[in-house]
Amino acid sequence: MEQLTRSLAPARTSHKSAVAGSGGEGAGSVTKRLSNELMTLMMSSSPGISAFPKSDANLFEWAGTIEGAPSTIYAGLTFKISISFPPNYPYAAPMIKFDTPCYHPNVDISGGSICLDILQDKWSAVYSVQTILLSLQSLLGEPNNASPLNPDAAHLWNSPEEFKAQLMRYYRPINDEGSA
Amino acid sequence: MATEALKRQIAGKWQNAFARLNRDQEGITGLLAFSEAWALATEFLHPRDLNGSMANKELDMVKVRLAVETLSKSKMLPILLENFLEDMRKQQYLITRDVNQFMLQYEETEDVHHIARLVYRILEWYRAWVPITELGHTILSAYTLTFQTHVYSILPPSFSRGFKKLVNATFDLAQSPVPPPWLPPTPPALQSPVPPPRPDLPLWSAFEQLGLLDRYESLISSVCYEHIEAHILETCSKRWGERMLQPLREWMTNRIVPWMVMPYARGARSAEEARSMLQGVGSRFDFHVCKTLSDLRTREIFDIIIDFPDSQPALEDLKECLQRVDQRTQLVQTLRKANRKRLLHPGADTKDILTQYVSIIRCLRLVDPPGVLLFKVADPIRRYLRERPDTIRCIVASLVGDGESGDSLVDENEPIQPLQQMQVEDYTDPSWEPEPIDAGPDFRTNKPSDVISTLVSIYDSKDLFVRELQVLLAQRLLAITDGNFDRERRNIEILKIRFGEAALQVCEVMLRDMTESKRTDQHVQSQKHMMLHPTIISRHFWPPLQAGKFAMPGQFKLIQDDYAREFHSFKQDKKLRWLPHLGTIRLEIELQDRTIPVDVPPLEAAFIELFSEKDTWTVDELIARVGSVDRSAAIKSLTTWVDMGVLKEEISNQYVLLEVAEDGSSVSTGGAPPRPARVIEEVSAVLTVEQQQAEQMRVYWKFIEGMLTNLGTLPLDRIQTMLKFAPGYDRTIEQLGAFMEAARREGLVTVANGMWKLSRT
Repeated sequence: MEQLTRSLAPARTSHKSAVAGSGGEGAGSVTKRLSNELMTLMMSSSPGISAFPKSDANLFEWAGTIEGAPSTIYAGLTFKISISFPPNYPYAAPMIKFDTPCYHPNVDISGGSICLDILQDKWSAVYSVQTILLSLQSLLGEPNNASPLNPDAAHLWNSPEEFKAQLMRYYRPINDEGSA
Repeated sequence: MATEALKRQIAGKWQNAFARLNRDQEGITGLLAFSEAWALATEFLHPRDLNGSMANKELDMVKVRLAVETLSKSKMLPILLENFLEDMRKQQYLITRDVNQFMLQYEETEDVHHIARLVYRILEWYRAWVPITELGHTILSAYTLTFQTHVYSILPPSFSRGFKKLVNATFDLAQSPVPPPWLPPTPPALQSPVPPPRPDLPLWSAFEQLGLLDRYESLISSVCYEHIEAHILETCSKRWGERMLQPLREWMTNRIVPWMVMPYARGARSAEEARSMLQGVGSRFDFHVCKTLSDLRTREIFDIIIDFPDSQPALEDLKECLQRVDQRTQLVQTLRKANRKRLLHPGADTKDILTQYVSIIRCLRLVDPPGVLLFKVADPIRRYLRERPDTIRCIVASLVGDGESGDSLVDENEPIQPLQQMQVEDYTDPSWEPEPIDAGPDFRTNKPSDVISTLVSIYDSKDLFVRELQVLLAQRLLAITDGNFDRERRNIEILKIRFGEAALQVCEVMLRDMTESKRTDQHVQSQKHMMLHPTIISRHFWPPLQAGKFAMPGQFKLIQDDYAREFHSFKQDKKLRWLPHLGTIRLEIELQDRTIPVDVPPLEAAFIELFSEKDTWTVDELIARVGSVDRSAAIKSLTTWVDMGVLKEEISNQYVLLEVAEDGSSVSTGGAPPRPARVIEEVSAVLTVEQQQAEQMRVYWKFIEGMLTNLGTLPLDRIQTMLKFAPGYDRTIEQLGAFMEAARREGLVTVANGMWKLSRT
């Protein structure tokens, strides 16, 4: 009998703590969501996209990598991005910018900020790091030239040779940067 | 030139000497009497040749005594002694001649008989030359000393050897009622009116009179030690079934103690006195008995342990001996060495190692209840077992009492008790005792606990066991076909007592799944009668099962879907996911000329179902139809049918259905060429713990790949800390290092200056 109650006791407390964790809007649930997303991202082997927390102490700052999709003008190029999650994620969109200079109609060439609807007004909590990365990958090949952040790039988009030349002028391959 | 004073001085001296020798007799009569007495005494004392005449014995003893008295009065005894000793020295060559002669004979024949005769002969010399007692004790002892000094100086080294043999022979002599023929007749000097009660008595008294007992004391005791050793080796070797120490002590009392009376308690006037004289030397010999026995048992300890419990008496002996002699270190070392040589090598079965380990536990607990010996011996075994991959499996199998694995490690009669944790010392316990003196620094006072607790404690945590238990239980449950789970239920109940309820909750769920499936099946069957009886398990609680990736074709698929529909209507919130490779199917194959009833695994059934569509299939076609199957698995199941004479391999990799049985092919002993025996491999349905770990490592690799892609190069410790993002990561940095090293060999990563980097492809 004694054994029975003892074995029951920890089960009850652990249950309670689980309830508290999901009920409160604390950092705990965000962390849990982020680690779930990390797990999903690691296990789904989507080619050309990847991301990982920058340090083991802070789950809110990630580094990402996007490879240009084959048969687009960005094929063979690799871009580094930083992802910064707000404390109220996933109710607000993460902040994303390119670390590698990216000559693209919707990307600010000097600051790296991105104009993408799902990162602004169209954000929804059902999106995840993976969907964002996939969207960014497809944005590279299919820019939205209607609302350009880089009008020069938008202007050149229809003449691939010139665009490619500009792109390569700005592009810096990421080699041996050392650990972030 | 002499002065007056000198003359007076000489005259005074002369007067003194004269007065002393003349003893106030008249004239010089005293002087005359003295010189007569001197002549008589020296004549009497003169050492004679034994081989010559014995004339001196004929002298009148009364006269001799008178003469000695006269000399004594004249204070001339010291001079007489000097004179006598000088004479002895002159005559010594006689003895030397005799001794050399006897030793020569002995060296030729190696017969102790000559030594005995030599001893008697020397004694005769001794008796012949001994001065009479009236000369006083001083002269007698001076004589003895001179005589012995001389004799010892001429005895050759081979005498010690012969003497040892002779002493050894006295063990038998002491027991025999009549003197054996080799023993020389007792010399007259030692003869007594009553014949000696034992034939060895004259020898011993000869030894004593010649001082051999003192001189050869250590030799005599070494003879006794060797005698004891030989007896113990002869009577106790390999006899472990009975207590030997008590019989040995009785043997000592009956055989050795009477013998010991001679060399060690001669001259005791009563039994009481003899006992007190023997006490010291007796306990020395008793110690030797214990030491010899414990040495013997120590040498045999490995086999004794193998024989346990039949050898329990031997262990009790050992325990008693160890209390008397301190041979514990030797025991530990010998056993450790034997274990290393005979047990802890790749050729030994884990099961055997465990059995022997358990026996060692039981045996050493018996010998040394505090467990110090056990701790020292067990340590290497435990470390070795920890490295064996199948140790846990073996322990777990014996936990649930695997019937077919022979004798169980666990004594059936032992009460089942919860696993014992390491206990902290309870100093308030009135019966607390300090750690034994030879306990090592890391000795843990584990109170005598049961065997299973000890085995489980080989590993640091019992979680490993629980996980392995689940795997084992899953295998056993899936193997049960008759729906009788009583045995498993009983096992789980036993294990609950040991590991606690909480640890076995998962097992409980697994067991309930089995009964629950039966009930669900009954319900579904009551709705619609179906041939399929699935076992429905909760994926979450079961260890990962081998994934079967093929799909059942044809009518099987229909049955499955049918069942799934019924199930879904019964349990709305649940979904069936089929594991088609598990289970058996009873088929009746109707062919043109025959009907074959058969029980087969699902893959076989799937293939034969396909043959009902068309008669000829290639292996590749078949595999394509059922989904992804191992080619070897596919060929194996096709071979099953070929063996039954249902299919035939027409050309390589192409099979054809035999609607009409071929002659001889259905009878396997017929003319058909002998097929290589089918390799029946038991494919385990459940992933083993190792496989699970490998599976986990694949997950961790994804994480490593992810972090190296995004963060560039990282040192090993960063990787280790970052891996905490991976759920359930519990590897040590050493394991990770080994894993990374393996990845490097496969060309997945490179390392420079301790920084790891993905190889760019």
